[in-house]
Amino acid sequence: MQRDRIHLGLYLAGVLGATLIHAPAWLAAGLALVLLLSGRDAASLLRRAVLTVLAFNTLISLSYLGMAWWQDAFTQAPSPWLTLLRLNLRVLLLTCLTFLFIARTNLFQALDFSKSLTYVLGLAYSQTLTFSRAHDDFRLALASRSLTRPSLIDRYRASAAAISWFIEKSLHAATQSSQALRSRGFFHD
Amino acid sequence: MTELRYRIIKPAPAQDAAPMLEVVGISHRYGAAEILRDIGFAIRPGEKVVLLGCNGSGKSTLLKILNGLIAPTAGQFHFQGEEITPLRLKAPALHRRFRSEVALLFQNPDAMLFNPSVFDEIAFGPRQMGLPNLDDRVRHWADLVGVSQHLARPPFSLSGGEKQKVCLAALLALEPKVLLLDEPTAALDPRSTGWLVDFLGGLDITTLTTTHNLSLAPELGSRALVLGEDHSLIHDGPIQALLTDMNLLAAANLVHTHRHRHGNIEHRHTHVHDWQ
Repeated sequence: MQRDRIHLGLYLAGVLGATLIHAPAWLAAGLALVLLLSGRDAASLLRRAVLTVLAFNTLISLSYLGMAWWQDAFTQAPSPWLTLLRLNLRVLLLTCLTFLFIARTNLFQALDFSKSLTYVLGLAYSQTLTFSRAHDDFRLALASRSLTRPSLIDRYRASAAAISWFIEKSLHAATQSSQALRSRGFFHD
Repeated sequence: MTELRYRIIKPAPAQDAAPMLEVVGISHRYGAAEILRDIGFAIRPGEKVVLLGCNGSGKSTLLKILNGLIAPTAGQFHFQGEEITPLRLKAPALHRRFRSEVALLFQNPDAMLFNPSVFDEIAFGPRQMGLPNLDDRVRHWADLVGVSQHLARPPFSLSGGEKQKVCLAALLALEPKVLLLDEPTAALDPRSTGWLVDFLGGLDITTLTTTHNLSLAPELGSRALVLGEDHSLIHDGPIQALLTDMNLLAAANLVHTHRHRHGNIEHRHTHVHDWQ
């Protein structure tokens, strides 16, 4: 229990540090430290983190480069490349740090000093489990019904249907959860 | 195209026929959690089998293994004598044959629906197969399951029972040899449940249906497989024999006991209540 709280404190300090530090060299050193701490899981942790941020960071980076080119910012200081490096390193560091924290820490024990936070964590955790199972079912159902590799349009449609279902279920679950909490006297408004 | 022949008495599947599905010593784990323990059975062509077990006993996982979607941690699964694994299904010819001949109806029909209209949903499989007379084929199955009036509508706008029917039509449009059904009555009202029982009974194909509804089980098949709380197969035999074995049903957590009052007398005994 004490160990989980220490992990939580270190994680929050790490997040704060990664936000305040701007030098790419220090951000890279922080990333190296996180990977070192993850030991044998370093390669899979880095792979998962890269895959998680790849689409978002690529979109942001390309948009930023396009804007810098449009504003002729490559001839001015600081270089847009430096900003891009800083941004991507920071996001990757925070993602790796979060994955390592979740893997090594019992969140329920880390947050057991606060009844409210434990409630919120419990709700989030149960929703995550439910949605994780549902996500697997959507993925497997498409695989089960596909005699050939699904076309891009089929995958797009399947993703859209899944996202629509998740949004609808999230809204329903959020309403149910808030009603259940209100019923149990959690809210005092 | 498969014809539906409604019969009161169905001929028993030939006992000496080669198995359609054969499961040999299958075990499965998710991390530290045991899901299935050393499961073995064979299902012959035309058999209607019911897979019973309490929540969390591993029924859905077993169906996904039998549909080649997940690989068991140990053991083997054969379809018509050929071993099926996700790896082997990467071979296009086997993948195409297996996916067209073994269909899985997921418990949540929403997971299966993604096409812009009910017509496209039913046509999805036959289009991939390049089957002729697509329009006639779609209308035939839509008529049989009773959704022909919804063909132009998006499937997402339908009720739970109608979605289930669309999913069934979409799977049956490929005329599979085996239909795996995961709790198909879980989201249905009583009228739709009755319709489904009649419909499945009239299909001349091999079915394996999961349920934890004991009152419905004899309507869905004549043979029962029961998964116990320890995730092993604790019964494989006629369903009527199972329904009279209260000790076995209690061991599988398929029946319950509670207090009863009859006037001034109170007692406890085992019960099979009808519920979804």
